Amino acid sequence: MSTPNPAPEPPVLAADPEPAPAAVEPSLPSIADGVERHLDPRAVTLDRIVSGIVTAAISLSQLVALVVIYFVADDLPGRSMALLVLFWVAFTLTLAWSSYRWPEVEHRHKSYKVDERGIEIRKGVYWRKVINVPRSRVQHTDVSQGPIERSFGLGTLVIYTAGTSHARVDLSGLEHATALRIRDHLLPEEASDAA
Amino acid sequence: MQPEEQRLHPLSILFRLAAQVRTFAVPGVAALVTAGAVGWEWQVWAMPLAIPFALISVVQYFSFRYRYDANEMVIRTGFLFRNERHVPYARIQNLHAVQNVFHRLLNVVEVRVETGGADEPEATMSVLPVSAFEEMRRRVFKEKGEPAPDTAAEPAAADETLLHLPPGELLLCGFIQNRGFVVIAAAFGLLWELGMLESLMESFFGEDVSGRGLLRSIAMALFGQGGLPLEAIALTAAAVVSLLLVSRLISMVWTFFRLYDFRLIRAGKDLRIEYGLLTRVATAISLRRIQTLTIRQGLLYRLFKRAAVRVEMAGDGGEDEEGNSKQREWLAPVIPESELPRLLHAVVPGLDLAAISWRGFHPRAFRRELKGWVLTALLISLPFTLLLKGWVLVLLAALLGWAWMGARLTLAHLGWAVSEDEVLYRSGWLGRQISVVRFNKIQAVTIRESPFDRRAAMASVAVDTAGAGESSHRVDIPYLARETARELSDLLTVQADRTAFRW
Repeated sequence: MSTPNPAPEPPVLAADPEPAPAAVEPSLPSIADGVERHLDPRAVTLDRIVSGIVTAAISLSQLVALVVIYFVADDLPGRSMALLVLFWVAFTLTLAWSSYRWPEVEHRHKSYKVDERGIEIRKGVYWRKVINVPRSRVQHTDVSQGPIERSFGLGTLVIYTAGTSHARVDLSGLEHATALRIRDHLLPEEASDAA
Repeated sequence: MQPEEQRLHPLSILFRLAAQVRTFAVPGVAALVTAGAVGWEWQVWAMPLAIPFALISVVQYFSFRYRYDANEMVIRTGFLFRNERHVPYARIQNLHAVQNVFHRLLNVVEVRVETGGADEPEATMSVLPVSAFEEMRRRVFKEKGEPAPDTAAEPAAADETLLHLPPGELLLCGFIQNRGFVVIAAAFGLLWELGMLESLMESFFGEDVSGRGLLRSIAMALFGQGGLPLEAIALTAAAVVSLLLVSRLISMVWTFFRLYDFRLIRAGKDLRIEYGLLTRVATAISLRRIQTLTIRQGLLYRLFKRAAVRVEMAGDGGEDEEGNSKQREWLAPVIPESELPRLLHAVVPGLDLAAISWRGFHPRAFRRELKGWVLTALLISLPFTLLLKGWVLVLLAALLGWAWMGARLTLAHLGWAVSEDEVLYRSGWLGRQISVVRFNKIQAVTIRESPFDRRAAMASVAVDTAGAGESSHRVDIPYLARETARELSDLLTVQADRTAFRW
């Protein structure tokens, strides 16, 4: 931000000359074709990065603790110290392996299907779940993007209903444009709730 | 044309002041009682603090105005920080009126205007003259385009009384529901606070009869050290039984006062509920706002051939992210089984429980259910292994027999059905519940498969509605064959999508 820019482009905020992406794109076939789709494969990489960061954070903090123990507890026998280090290595490796492996397994078991009557989301590896949200029950939707998601061009679709346990249904790992298309499909055509 | 603005009843000042004095006085009195004269000085010093409160009550009275516009009610409040709130008539779901003894003596009423949008009522009007409340009721319901329900006092000819509870039913209701323990617990708490509990216990039971000593001597007797303290056991049992009886009695009295002259009246598209001996409550709910209807029948209910009916309503927060302000209301705290069909018919038109053909479950459902019961039986008998040695097998056998019966009967009373407009789910063996959800109130349908389900190609189907509480009986149907679950979910989703959801 400190580098002086000789010809600063005026920030375009209000009047975007380009049409809203995917909102009115006649060339694209409707997303509501009732075909079951998997999420974007890049979502696996994204999940790996995120869980990799978490793994690194946990593992590093444990390493710090180990170092502290090494210097503070002088009278600790060398064998216990070695055992602790071994434990740390095993733990880190397990965590690293699962944060590499799990996103792929999860991805295989996650899919969605959009049709005229609404959206159906499948998820869960061991405890499986199929959530059906009728189109007429969608209160409002969010499409959000975190910093890592943005760099991958991915987004998260959040559907809100008036329900209790499914007041909020998340679908992450969609291509951002797809998320927008699903959102546009799910939004009510007109405000029928004029009560 | 600006409609004229109205104020609250001038007595509002008095009631507000009384409320403030009460918040002051209750801790004050408690402090005096518990701490003796120590609290006096503090009390005296605190007295002048009440003066600003009195001023505030006066200012609040003069700054609170409301008026009826064409489509909405406008409420202006505040003296320094002004606030103008517009509440459309169509959004008002409930005018909740409460009259305690003093209100009734002075012919005023406290009104809460509820749209269900938030946990708090949209406006609390404390207090209005009864005539002003009647006018409000008339205006709000007329503007909603629904037949105006008449005053609280006399139901019009068109209104249908769905349920009226005479004193006998109220006492029965109190007996069944047994809320007395709440009162007893509160009394114990107070005694504890005042340090009178211990002396009371001692004078009543004496040292060696109190609970812990008794338990210890029973345990010792079981291990073969000393005889069973029969006398103490009998005494304690008598104490427990009398406590149970007293709690039932308190519950009966409490219910009698609280629900005295309970009436459920249908007025057009609204249900009106009125009850109370000293504090009279009148509330009205739109039929279309009912999300889930649950019929509950505990063991005692069934013994007396009674049932209880409760409804859940949703909040009205269209843009509210959570959208789950929880509201529940008893349509009938107790109702004879014979009256039930008439009530149900009025609340959910076309619903006839007797004509429902309950659908069954996967053939392996019994095995699944049994496993849970057997596991419980094993866990219960485990700690007794030490105590009973070999005899634990007898206990285990008895528990397993119980488990078998429990699983059988639980499954026999589990059921689901889909009728023309609604989905029904019943569960429970000792305490039974039936929930009814209309298709147009379904928010989402979920199929779940646990690893245990998958081994047997089973699945469960859950229906999500607005306003469901933590403890509410939700439609969550287990042990379905996978294909059945799929079909049911498809059917419900299609039906839900076809209907428009209106709060």
